[in-house]
Amino acid sequence: MGQTLVYGFLNGALYGIIALGIALVFGVMRYLNLAQGSLIILGAYGILFLFHIGIDPFASMPLIAFLLFLLGGALFKVSFSRLIMLPETGRIKNSLLISFGLMLLIDNLATLLWTGDERSITPTYSGLTLGLFGLRFPLIGCVGVLSALVIIVALHTFLARTYFGKSIMAVSQDYEAASLLGVNVNFICLVSFAISVGLASIPSVLIGLKSFSPTVGIQWFNKGIIVVMLSGIGNINGVFPAGLLLGIMEAISVYIFGAPYREVTGLVVFVLVMVLFPKGLFKRQEL
Amino acid sequence: MRLKAWISFCLAILLFALLPAVIRSEYLLNLLLMFFLYVIVAQSWNLLGGFTGQVSLGHSAFFGTGALITRLLWTAGVPIVPALIAGSLSSVVLAVLVGVPCLRMRSAYFPIGTLALAMIAQITVANLFPLPGSLSSGYLTGYSMLSRYYLALVVAVLTVAVVYWIVRSRTGLALVGIRDDEAAAEAMGVRTFKHKVFALMVSSLLVGLGGGIFAYHQVSYYYYAPFELSWSFLPTLTTFIGGLGTITGPILGAACFLGLSELFAISLGEVHLVVFAATFILVVLFVPGGLMSISARINNFTMKLMRRIPGNPADHGADP
Amino acid sequence: MMLRVEHVDVRYGDLQVLWDVNVEVSEGEIVALVGSNGAGKSTLIRTIAGLVKPSDGAIYYGDTLLNDKPPHAVAEFGISMVPEGRRLFPKMTVLQNLEMGAYLKKARPRKDATLAWVYDIFPILRKRSGQPAGLLSGGEQQMLAIGRALMGLNHFLLLDELSLGLSPLLVKQIFDVLVDINRAGITLFIVEQNVPMTLKIADRAYIMETGRIVGKGAAREHMESEHVKEAYLGMS
Repeated sequence: MGQTLVYGFLNGALYGIIALGIALVFGVMRYLNLAQGSLIILGAYGILFLFHIGIDPFASMPLIAFLLFLLGGALFKVSFSRLIMLPETGRIKNSLLISFGLMLLIDNLATLLWTGDERSITPTYSGLTLGLFGLRFPLIGCVGVLSALVIIVALHTFLARTYFGKSIMAVSQDYEAASLLGVNVNFICLVSFAISVGLASIPSVLIGLKSFSPTVGIQWFNKGIIVVMLSGIGNINGVFPAGLLLGIMEAISVYIFGAPYREVTGLVVFVLVMVLFPKGLFKRQEL
Repeated sequence: MRLKAWISFCLAILLFALLPAVIRSEYLLNLLLMFFLYVIVAQSWNLLGGFTGQVSLGHSAFFGTGALITRLLWTAGVPIVPALIAGSLSSVVLAVLVGVPCLRMRSAYFPIGTLALAMIAQITVANLFPLPGSLSSGYLTGYSMLSRYYLALVVAVLTVAVVYWIVRSRTGLALVGIRDDEAAAEAMGVRTFKHKVFALMVSSLLVGLGGGIFAYHQVSYYYYAPFELSWSFLPTLTTFIGGLGTITGPILGAACFLGLSELFAISLGEVHLVVFAATFILVVLFVPGGLMSISARINNFTMKLMRRIPGNPADHGADP
Repeated sequence: MMLRVEHVDVRYGDLQVLWDVNVEVSEGEIVALVGSNGAGKSTLIRTIAGLVKPSDGAIYYGDTLLNDKPPHAVAEFGISMVPEGRRLFPKMTVLQNLEMGAYLKKARPRKDATLAWVYDIFPILRKRSGQPAGLLSGGEQQMLAIGRALMGLNHFLLLDELSLGLSPLLVKQIFDVLVDINRAGITLFIVEQNVPMTLKIADRAYIMETGRIVGKGAAREHMESEHVKEAYLGMS
């Protein structure tokens, strides 16, 4: 049981970092980016490529993060930037549709270019585990959790301590008021979107080291959106703990019901949250 | 214009009905059957998504349920018509059970909720029915492509007719009002929730019927196949490209999709999806009304031109 | 002439809401724009701020044409706005809201000094500086909204419907503060439904009805006018 919890915890960290990218974009500009999962997979292919020319996956992470950041900015400029003018429901609907098209585009392009075969990145340290308290802690998972934590702390500092970061928070709470104070809302949204795609590089590494194929992106997105719903819309700080929670819940359900129902757990949780809290988990403070 | 549309529609039906007498190609009949199926799925989706504004990404669950129940009953010996009815009804039951809670969410989350449902359905069915089924010899010898063709045609026409009739009725007005501004509709006394449920139920009934036809058509049958997410994406894609919220849109979109699909099928199999995805994105961004809106815009433009001509009865005069 | 609005029309799609609006504000003035609900006053002020694009006409601030500028550029050029409904950042504290007010490049280095000044004007904000803005009372929120706009160190302030939802006493307090701010060198353009209070502090006033300017002149004249008395002073 303890071992299952360990795996659940590590999975949860992965879910949390996936969810962070989704939550950032949704919180700031109310876009839902269905393609986040596909972008993660894209990053995984990038890491695979670099691995084949001899670069360690964790070492290539910063480069992939940067490339994904640029890609995110470009995608935003080309497709999502027009949606800023719409009211909230229009944004969610349209961003859903566009990102849905994007997801299909990326998934099928990837299948075309790299076939539908399942891939895996296997460096020499793949199977290594640390032994602690009589439990096995996979090395990769631990490094993953550490990287995720570092990035989260860095992001939090950026958002809370720098003027640029604070303006991102301001835009997420009231973009019109922010623009009246001199904040270039379009630019903020562009950068936030690019950051969220750049954040996809961490799950890219972790998923790349497990296994992936062109069409699995949406399954990872699903985990992310469940975590976002669990932690509450617009609540970026609660995302990581919510991810851990989901990971542990899954682990427990696997322990009780068996492996095939792991996927169903998350989705059932999702539906339950949606049914019990139809207006969202946290109410936004009205003025 | 209305009359022209009617005439072309009836001509098309006539054409499709008479076609098998002239063309013997099983491939073509099959293709047209798929076209009718796509029209059923897209048009039924359109009622909920295009006309009521509730974008469902979970129609594959309803399609699959209709298919599943129909197949199970039919291969157990039940005649096809009751089996189809049972299939479509079970699809409605599913819609009421799980679709209604989705409707209760903030309307922005309806697509996500339905997507989650579709994924749950797919995984569950894949777990419960991993092995494909096939038809026993008795069924195989009695298999008639022609009867399936006409069945699909009839249901397709039925679907279009039903959606058209609803949209033209007072209910339809309410649905469109909900799509355009739900708060305003509510304020005007429209029972928005009831109407949304109604649209959902009709939509799932029709798409469940389509699922049943799909199950009836397949020889070797993978139970999880109709639950695949592509059956959710299909109506959204095709209706969007053809024209959301128009009757002709889904038909046009389905025709384009299938036509181009087959055209590309000879080359790399997946290219058409890439092209469609790209087209879809472009349509959402630049032509949110789809292909139908382009013709509407041309009409509008012509109307405006006519108003400029003095003495034209269409000219109401400028505001003070 | 600081602000010139010349022959401005505003249309939302096919619906026209402003017709041939002409307004001038000189440096140091307090100018009011009054009229009843739905007259189009907020639309005009939002157009000046850059939130709405004029369909026709021109808006000049000094020598700069403002028509196509997005709101953040208008703010950079020297116009700050206190929007209708205050629009504070609800999850941020009073202090954080004020700090956001100093976002403009020119305002950031002087932030601490400006903050002290704003706290002098609105002492209650100093007391509440650590509280989330969403928890303040209506009057406190209005003060915070004004204070936040002042942090940008712009010399031109647009104020949209300050008095909404506030008690007459609070409104008087805030309007007195506005006079002080004006004496400190800030030009004010006030949009208001509360006509009598506004006319008391304004130098000049424009009257807007259904999207058109129907009256202008010194505030005192308006207070005497029969039309104004009937139409607006009956309702306050």
